[in-house]
Amino acid sequence: MARVGVFIGQFDSHSTIAFDSLASYAANLRAVEKVRLLGLRPKVDVKTLAEEIRRERLDRIVLAGDSPGHFKPAFTRAMQLAGGDPAEVRLASFREHGASSSEATDRAKAILACAVHGVPYPLVAVPKPTVVNPATLVIGGGVAGIQTALEIADAGKKVILVERSGTIGGHMAMFDKTFPTLDCAACILTPKMVAVAEHDMIELLTNSEVVGVTGNPGAYRVEIRRHARRVDEAACVACNVCTDICPISVLSEFDQGLTHRKAIYIPFPQAVPNAYLVDPEACLWVQSEGKRCGACAKKCPKECIDLAEEDRTVTFDVGTIVLATGYDLLDARKVERYGYGKYPNVLTALEFERITNASGPTGGKIVVKSKVANRRLKTDEWLATSDGAAPRSVAIIHCVGSRDANYNPYCSRVCCMYSLKFAHLVREKLPDATCYEFYIDMRAFGKGYEEFMERIKAEGAHVVRGRTAEVSEVDGRLVVKGEDIVQDRLVQYPVDLVILAVGLVPSAGTAELATLLGVPRDQDGWFSELNYNSEPTYTERGGVFVAGVCQGPKDIPDTVAQASAVAAGVLRSISSGRGVSDLSSLALSEIEARAMQMAAGKPQEATHGR
Amino acid sequence: MVANVTRVNPKLIHELEKYGAQDVQNCYHCGNCSAVCPHADEYFVFPRKSMRMLQMGLEKRIEASLEPWLCYYCGQCSTGCPRGAEPGETMMSLRRWLTSRYDFTGISRLFYRSWKAEAVVLVVVALLAALGFLIFGFSQGSIHHYDGEQAFLPSASIHIFDWGMAAVLVVLLLINSIRMWWFTTGGNPRIRPKLGTYLKALYQLPLQFFTQKEYARCGERQPWLVHLALMLGYVSMLVLIMFFLHGMQAGPEIRWRFHGVGYLASAGLLFGVLVAVIGRIRKSAPHVAHSHESDWLFLGMLLIVTVTGIVQHVLHRAGAAMAANLAYVVHLSLVVPMLLLEVPFGKWSHMVYRPLACYLAAVHRETLARQRSSAAQGEQVTADRRLAAA
Repeated sequence: MARVGVFIGQFDSHSTIAFDSLASYAANLRAVEKVRLLGLRPKVDVKTLAEEIRRERLDRIVLAGDSPGHFKPAFTRAMQLAGGDPAEVRLASFREHGASSSEATDRAKAILACAVHGVPYPLVAVPKPTVVNPATLVIGGGVAGIQTALEIADAGKKVILVERSGTIGGHMAMFDKTFPTLDCAACILTPKMVAVAEHDMIELLTNSEVVGVTGNPGAYRVEIRRHARRVDEAACVACNVCTDICPISVLSEFDQGLTHRKAIYIPFPQAVPNAYLVDPEACLWVQSEGKRCGACAKKCPKECIDLAEEDRTVTFDVGTIVLATGYDLLDARKVERYGYGKYPNVLTALEFERITNASGPTGGKIVVKSKVANRRLKTDEWLATSDGAAPRSVAIIHCVGSRDANYNPYCSRVCCMYSLKFAHLVREKLPDATCYEFYIDMRAFGKGYEEFMERIKAEGAHVVRGRTAEVSEVDGRLVVKGEDIVQDRLVQYPVDLVILAVGLVPSAGTAELATLLGVPRDQDGWFSELNYNSEPTYTERGGVFVAGVCQGPKDIPDTVAQASAVAAGVLRSISSGRGVSDLSSLALSEIEARAMQMAAGKPQEATHGR
Repeated sequence: MVANVTRVNPKLIHELEKYGAQDVQNCYHCGNCSAVCPHADEYFVFPRKSMRMLQMGLEKRIEASLEPWLCYYCGQCSTGCPRGAEPGETMMSLRRWLTSRYDFTGISRLFYRSWKAEAVVLVVVALLAALGFLIFGFSQGSIHHYDGEQAFLPSASIHIFDWGMAAVLVVLLLINSIRMWWFTTGGNPRIRPKLGTYLKALYQLPLQFFTQKEYARCGERQPWLVHLALMLGYVSMLVLIMFFLHGMQAGPEIRWRFHGVGYLASAGLLFGVLVAVIGRIRKSAPHVAHSHESDWLFLGMLLIVTVTGIVQHVLHRAGAAMAANLAYVVHLSLVVPMLLLEVPFGKWSHMVYRPLACYLAAVHRETLARQRSSAAQGEQVTADRRLAAA
């Protein structure tokens, strides 16, 4: 019989688990030789630990606690040092296996017992056959959320799609072309967006946020805050009268601040729902509490504007929840050496997407920004206008804030390819312009990507191997400086436009949502999938799925593929009626017995399926 | 041709760890460091290239490189490094490694790889020196007299001793410098300088030695000023001791002609050493964030030597001849190992290697420019001939 050491960490100060009772329970298990409580903020010293392992002759270690994975590397190293098998460091993850409810301590004991016997808890515990509510909540209306919602709804099941902004479409709606096929992004996405709007089985809630989740897998109750749109979605025909008359202009979020929009606006012409909305922060009527303006409400031919509308909260019962919250760009200001925010013509990738987009502020003309006086604020603004000058040379800088110990250690996975796409667009629209592409390693890993890279090189973009060290301004012109490590020389190119291939970070609110749902996140902040290889769409929390970039950076094809896979998982759990339970149907004694049986190698009926 | 075969030493990178370069393997060659380096130019692109050579184990190429000596460790490369590969510290370690390569005795290599060996030798040499000075003092003078007829350690004898030691040091340094020239230039097939180029650049040697103006090109000027104070203090003291020892020792009155300069020099030395020690304790800047054991030994010795030098001077002026003599013995018995070990084999050798490297770099630049333009002309001629043939 294995000699097992149990290390229990509390980690989470709000935990409801009775740790003393847990420790004495662990000590009474037959195989357990040693139990140690690690406390709230453990300091793990590998050498001392290895010494302890050797002294107690432990050949299995159970590291227990709420999300104890953080400390696993130290224990694995200690096990190696002590000459043991590093694979025998096993986790008993309480929070991830749902030990957070009223019977938390009992659940924690069961999880611990399974780890001590060396068998995975999800294989031992039997999902409770439950009636799964066939309705599904999809959080996030980007391409991932849209794809999942459509797949599920097409199968005849109800979907509630919640989107924080005024329109669905997400980042993909901002793009001009997709790589490597150079398809028009809008031509792929907008039909899907319209399909969502018109689908009988999809209830679309834009301008809305999930604020509360209660209940259990299969029967969640979600609270959704519906921010006041102040325009009746169903009645609005997008005639544009309100926008024409609105006196207030602010920078457009959808156009990345490159141009203005009104306080009552539609994010972009193909927005879904195709209805206007009011920005309460900008609207004169809202800010003056009804004392000023209100012109749009008076002029609206459909009389569908209600500036006094208030936020409200609605409640839905759903069986499963899909996270498709996507990403934000890393704040390029943080990477100071490239001067974003200091030099107006240093752009982020999304800004360039808008400039080169045919429906963008310049009608697709690639221009440098122009200085425009803002009469209301009495300041100068740098905007992209269609009469702006065309750049004679453009530098595209890869890996901005990615693969960098000072910012994000991870590769953002899409930047290499979209940067190559940019080079193509620049060379296509401005054949006389010089285009420099600075990269460290070219990550052209997908189908057709390598060929795409070769094509762009052949088109005449100067692809320079070496990272740009800094962007500065010399005599009014931007200068990028770097080392060309292939040519073995330092280079300095004067350019008119610098495009930063800024890395991806989890979108704002990811942490709050993770806490709300009890879904763990990885070290970079993305939602953790249950198993990277075999269950990339499930999470530790039963009945909660992940789709798209919120699980980790990925491109559009991968996002869509994962989104469809999520739909398959959701539909499976709805039709089988038991896949989503949180494994809580067995009593502690039963779990112990089953775990022991499994450890002894006796065959078990297949119980897997969440 | 066998001569063109490149020898690779795969263990080089591990060897460098002993000299302080821990993170070379992290480098993924983005070139950020070379591009921010104020010293990199079209002829010397570094530090990334040195990192590459290390990763590839190109021992001979590194031995032939001047780049490590052109780096003054402002640390901008390390601060901006996306991989934490510490290019600045790598250049520092390469300077240590090159010092051990130039040194034909192998002592430098021993010291850099084992600070315990260095410490033991230091202590033994210091004790032997102390013993020697005490025996000499008691055999011919009185411990109660600091100067005059019966002086315990008369300046005339110490003077001879100093010059003897200087001769040894000069010979050692000269041999090592010739080796440096041979590795980097004389025996380097990629560089064929003309004699005129050598002569034309000669002014670099005194210029770089006394001004260290290359150091001033690092972003901040403060480290350069501190280093300059330290160096000028040291050199002034050296001049005073080598040429005016009698004037320095005579007393007890203060002779401002000598002692004024001496005080300034001591202040410079003390200031430089204290700034360095405090910086290294606080790790206040990239260039002092990593300290090799040899750095601490060196700074410790320099500090003790400076302090004991000041103490013996003060005691002598205060009329405590015996105490002054004892302090003087301690001072001298530390000066001997410090100079004998640090100047040819340790960190101090850079007072020769650095100006020499700046000089050779100037020679290289001109030679490379000439070679490149003649190569370009050659290509032009071939192209013309081809054109004519067609």
